[in-house]
Amino acid sequence: MKIVVCIKQVPETNDVTIDPVTHNLDRRGLAGVMNPFDKNAIELALTLKDSRDDVQVALLTMGPDDYAESLREGMAMGADEGYLLSDRAFAGADTLATGYVIAQALKKIGDADLILFGRQAVDADTGQVGPIVAEFLHQPQITYAASLRLSGANEVTAERLLEDTKQTLVAQLPAVVSVRSELNTPRYPTPRNIQLSFAKPLTVWHHDDLDLDDSRLGQAGSPTIVTKVYAPEPVKRKLTPLTGTPSEAASQLITALKNRQLI
Amino acid sequence: MSKPELWVIAERRLDHVESTTQQLITKAKSLAGDHFNVVTILLEATTDHLEDELSAYGPDEIRIARDDRFPTATDAELADAIKQLVDQYQPNSILFGATITGRSIAPRLQAKLQTGLTADCLDLRFDDETLVATKPSYGDNIMCEIICPDHLPQMATVRPNTFVATPAAGAATVTDSPVTFHPVDRLQVTAATPVVNTATTVGDATRVVALGRGAASAATIDSATKLAEKLGGRIGVSRPLTDQPRFTHDDQIGQSGNTIHPELIVNFGISGAVQYLVGMQDSQTIVAVNADENAPIFDVADYGYVGDAQAFMTALLAQFN
Repeated sequence: MKIVVCIKQVPETNDVTIDPVTHNLDRRGLAGVMNPFDKNAIELALTLKDSRDDVQVALLTMGPDDYAESLREGMAMGADEGYLLSDRAFAGADTLATGYVIAQALKKIGDADLILFGRQAVDADTGQVGPIVAEFLHQPQITYAASLRLSGANEVTAERLLEDTKQTLVAQLPAVVSVRSELNTPRYPTPRNIQLSFAKPLTVWHHDDLDLDDSRLGQAGSPTIVTKVYAPEPVKRKLTPLTGTPSEAASQLITALKNRQLI
Repeated sequence: MSKPELWVIAERRLDHVESTTQQLITKAKSLAGDHFNVVTILLEATTDHLEDELSAYGPDEIRIARDDRFPTATDAELADAIKQLVDQYQPNSILFGATITGRSIAPRLQAKLQTGLTADCLDLRFDDETLVATKPSYGDNIMCEIICPDHLPQMATVRPNTFVATPAAGAATVTDSPVTFHPVDRLQVTAATPVVNTATTVGDATRVVALGRGAASAATIDSATKLAEKLGGRIGVSRPLTDQPRFTHDDQIGQSGNTIHPELIVNFGISGAVQYLVGMQDSQTIVAVNADENAPIFDVADYGYVGDAQAFMTALLAQFN
């Protein structure tokens, strides 16, 4: 059984500022780390690997060469190999163009039974690339899985928590799954596994290594454009007094909360 | 020539419409003016009438596709059905709630349509026919305005409770628009059960009843527990109450405890020291009850009552039933 976990490298802190002159994000001095939610996806893959003899876990990421650090970290957790998709032509991609390259790479890796994603990246917070990849690969998806187990030779059973509903889903593999962070606690790399990780294969694929339509890559292949970046103003609120006896005031509050669909 | 269409995709939650749908209809109407037709897309079973929960909010049209498999359909099946409607009607823009369902279906549809999608938006406007979507990034520290200038439809998911739903006059035209249901047999929803409250900590509760020094008696805490249950939320406390045996540091809201931003927080007997306020002032709806009319908590509250916490709580509980 082959599992591919798609990961992203993100700035180590969300305390980014805006350059007052250029109005661009000032990311100077921000080191990259693996997106924390992606570690839950790796942990799930490793748990499945621990439970069966035949499970191979590969990691896949797209980004500049220093994203190899996150692949190494995942291999130090216990993944078997890493793939880095790195090319100038991929830069500036939005979710659609990112999903396209990742889907093409997954086709080249081939035969993945389970493709895992973290619930979303902590920097851009979209959570879109998993479903986009699932669509491009014509595979069913289970997003925001709260639990997942192998329930047959070629079948997984997952629970998915909607805001107020719990669903149970059964998927025949292959399938794409994104996982909630509550699913597990990611393991730390042990010194031995860190040492072993340096002997594990890390494959770098550039533009020419993949079957790609150039019009779908990078900025040119991205339908969305960021036109403005700014720091949010604090919300100013206007106080509506609740008046009269406690009973009258409570009644006013209930009406207000109903209007806001809170009850 | 007919007006371009601005779509709101209605989301189903068990036997009801998820409330973000109505919020988006109200927002879409205010964006549309005379320039767009607001069309709500509803996928439901043949005998369902979820349109009855939508018409009061005044969309120009409710367009319904019916199939008895829709209530338990999976993301790919729903995205496929919406894709058929998009091909037929060519809308200008499509809005989804940024719920788990919306955030799962919208990107699949985006991939089918090869267009742009902006996630989890906090504001929307149109510059002519270009949708300008404002989305937070970096944990809400940065706002981005994003457009999709050369592709249609333009798509966005919008964070729940960003906008307030307001009933509106005007009779919506209700039309049926058949689609072909293409089942994906490899994935089945085998059970769906309501969950009243999945929050295990005050940090992930969507509704919070917060107690401070002015609401610290055993009776008040008991009432607050009942109120939190009715709201589907959790109790949180300001620092003084962490000394009580019933609470721990994990329950604390504020700079040295949890920073929270629930949909609703009702503060009882909390004056609102700065250290407390920074931990909760980004909550969506803030209610404060305090005996001191000059308490700083009222500066950040949407609704305020000056009076006794226990008396107000008792009155509120009595009217909840």
